[in-house]
Amino acid sequence: MKNRLRVMRAEREWSQADLAERLEVSRQSVNAIETGKFDPSLPLAFKVARLFETTIEAIFTDEN
Amino acid sequence: MLCKSNSPAVRRYIVRFVVSMVLYAVFLALAVVIFVHFRPTGPVAWLLAVLPALAIIGQIAAFGMYLAEERDEFQRHSGELALLWGIGATLSVTIVWGSLENFVHLRHLDPTWIYPIFCIFFGIAHGLNQARYK
Repeated sequence: MKNRLRVMRAEREWSQADLAERLEVSRQSVNAIETGKFDPSLPLAFKVARLFETTIEAIFTDEN
Repeated sequence: MLCKSNSPAVRRYIVRFVVSMVLYAVFLALAVVIFVHFRPTGPVAWLLAVLPALAIIGQIAAFGMYLAEERDEFQRHSGELALLWGIGATLSVTIVWGSLENFVHLRHLDPTWIYPIFCIFFGIAHGLNQARYK
C-alpha cells in the first residue's frame, strides 16, 4: 500500500522519531509504514489521519 | 539493557527473561548437585529433573506475554515473524536430523537441544528483521 506519510511529515518538519512519539509507536514502525513494508491496522491508520487532520484516503492508497 | 527507548512491554519482557534465566541456572545447579550427591528416586527425582525445564517454559511464557502486551503493532508483528521463522527452521532442522537418525544412524539429537536451536534461529530472524527496518 502506497502512502504520503513521508511527504506530509516533511511538510511539518517532523523527524521519524517526532512522528513516532506523536503516534506512540516506535521509530522503526514509522519507517516501515513510510517505505510501504508494513501496512498499519485500521485503528493506527485512523490515528495517523487524525494527527494530520485529514482522511485515511488522503494518506494511504491501495495501489501497488 | 532496560533503556528508555524500549516499550514498557519490552522492559517487562527483559525482566521476566532474566528472572527465568536466573531460575534456570539455579534449578539446574540444584538438580545436578542433588543428583550427584544424594541420588534421589521417585517423585523427588522427577520434580528435580523437571525444575530446569519449568524455568525454560517460563521463558517461553514471557515471550507470549510480551506479544500480548506490546501495543506497537509493528513490533508485535516483527516478534511474531521471528517466532514463526524460529519455529519453522527448528522443525525443519529437527525433522531432517530425525530422518538421518532413522536411516543413516546419525548421532542421536538430545531433545534438550531443540530449545537452544530454536533460540539461535529466533535470534537470527529477529536480528535480520531489526536490520531490515532500522
